[in-house]
Amino acid sequence: MTRKRSFGAELTPRQLLEIDACTQCGECLKHCPVQQVTGDASVSPPEKIRRFREFLRATDGLKARLVGAQAVDPRLLEDFAKAVYECTTCGACGQSCPVGIFTQRLWPTLRKELVKRGLGPRGIQAGMPGAIERTGNPYDKPAAERFSPWFPEHVDVAPRADLAYYAGCSGSYEAWPMVRGDVLVLHATGVPFTMLPAAEEVCCGFPLFITGQHDRLAELTKRLVDGYASRGVKTLVCSCPCCVNIMSRDWPVFYGRELPFRIRHITQFVAAAIKEGKLRIRRELRESVIYHDPCYLSRGVGVIEEPREVLRSIPGLTLLEFERHGLDSRCCGSGGAARKVFHDNAIAMGRLTIDEAVAKRADRLILSCPACYAKVNEALQGHERQIKITDIMELLASVVEKEQP
Amino acid sequence: MVTATWTIPGACVVAATYGVVAAFYLRLALHALRWLEAARRSPTARPRGIAATARAFVGATVDIVLLRKLLLVNPALWCGEWVFHGSLLLVVLRHLRYFLNPVPAWVVWAQTPGWIAGFLLPAALGYILVVRLLTGQEKFSSPVNLLMLLDVLGIAVTGLLMSTWYPVDLVAVKLFALGVVTFSPSAPPLEILFTIHLGLVLALILYVPSHVVTAPFTLLDARRRELDLRRVLHDA
Repeated sequence: MTRKRSFGAELTPRQLLEIDACTQCGECLKHCPVQQVTGDASVSPPEKIRRFREFLRATDGLKARLVGAQAVDPRLLEDFAKAVYECTTCGACGQSCPVGIFTQRLWPTLRKELVKRGLGPRGIQAGMPGAIERTGNPYDKPAAERFSPWFPEHVDVAPRADLAYYAGCSGSYEAWPMVRGDVLVLHATGVPFTMLPAAEEVCCGFPLFITGQHDRLAELTKRLVDGYASRGVKTLVCSCPCCVNIMSRDWPVFYGRELPFRIRHITQFVAAAIKEGKLRIRRELRESVIYHDPCYLSRGVGVIEEPREVLRSIPGLTLLEFERHGLDSRCCGSGGAARKVFHDNAIAMGRLTIDEAVAKRADRLILSCPACYAKVNEALQGHERQIKITDIMELLASVVEKEQP
Repeated sequence: MVTATWTIPGACVVAATYGVVAAFYLRLALHALRWLEAARRSPTARPRGIAATARAFVGATVDIVLLRKLLLVNPALWCGEWVFHGSLLLVVLRHLRYFLNPVPAWVVWAQTPGWIAGFLLPAALGYILVVRLLTGQEKFSSPVNLLMLLDVLGIAVTGLLMSTWYPVDLVAVKLFALGVVTFSPSAPPLEILFTIHLGLVLALILYVPSHVVTAPFTLLDARRRELDLRRVLHDA
């Protein structure tokens, strides 16, 4: 008798313990942004875990071990797959979990299992591997247009330097003011930095990782790591929280050893530059701004204080906070590569962020993630409440001394 | 001393007890097998320093003893859950006198706290139920979770009744319990409250939430993650 593939085949022992540890208490549900905008119980974290336990029993339970794997209702599997892909993987459920389940990792792992079973990815996500193969980015946009539309002409990129900047696909194709701001601020610090040419700066792998399509991750990682290593890079900075997350947490695994350089989020580099006097802020800004913590930056890699330090360094600026901020921040709706598949959910979540920012009487909503930037701006269109949306580096670039028109 | 005599219902109770306990161990073994299979195919985790491991262990112990993560997200529910878990532990310790012979001194010492906990246990469960109903928690939690809560409430109430107003033959209970664990079963006392109490306990063992075994490990891992988070992108 041969056993069918286990539903737990992609899960680590820790994740299997987590599946068993869920008390079904429902605390997480109060923090689930998808649950909040859809009201659909099947999307909820405890319901996904309850169903997955049933699937595990079907392939790993006593009956399965004695007489072979049990059949699973395909409709249940399909509903489960939809629920897993509808999730934004923001990890708020795990942050509020009384038994500490690491859901920001659990859901992507379940997606990996669903891909192996032909139940994922969903919609436009399925085209990502092909698009990355053709153009180097998941949006299938020409590599030649990666930097040219937004890169400031007066900024020089060194062929080799200790510092490198990775712009990322979402910023380069969908959030130009953000990446332009990054480059202007880096330039203003006076620290030479290098970049890979547009054709070589390929996707970091996060969209593939988060949708469970792991086949090309090692290859992409090797291309990028070797590219930066050949330029003598000691520190790689990036403004995209998702890129930073996979670079710091997973690249060493895909690369097979420690990276030859360290990874930093751009706000960390800039906050240090301000402290060291490398970056001077000349203009004051008499505004109240509210900062949204991207899930993969705060819960993902623990960068919470530095963006606030950067904002507080701007004279005249008043920094407001969302009710849920820092480790408890609420997803803006763009995470988990779900924003283009479950568009309406993402818009509804984005509008919740906008509404709270307006209710707090902020003049400006500050973001620091290209996916958030693209989707919350989209959510703003046609919405009854309006607010200025600005990326943190875009804002800083407007007040630093070396900014060029 | 009056001891129960064997009857068909008594034999059924003993058989059910062994069946349920065997099912519990089988379930545990199947889960352990699943964890071991996953451990075999997973890459070996990077070793951690002794200091980091100790910090995580101490932190996780605090998390487990104080139910810290629940306190952070739902203080009202936490009060009831903490009293419930604490009093349940004391009541279980008090019950060890039925399974051990001779009774160790520490179990003797646990008798009075366990007796007091017997009153706190149903009160805490009632409080949890009220908090969950009043705060709308029921719409978030699973029906199975509610059933378990009602089951434990039933166990607590029947246990309290037996230890106060409707005492049972404790010698017969001890002979039965000791007989079960030493595989030389005696007939159970077929008193209605005891039978209901035992039946509810067997139902709980049959459907005991797996978090009882696994949550301490996930809490240890969560504490490690919390400590590691500041090291992902920051110099230690």
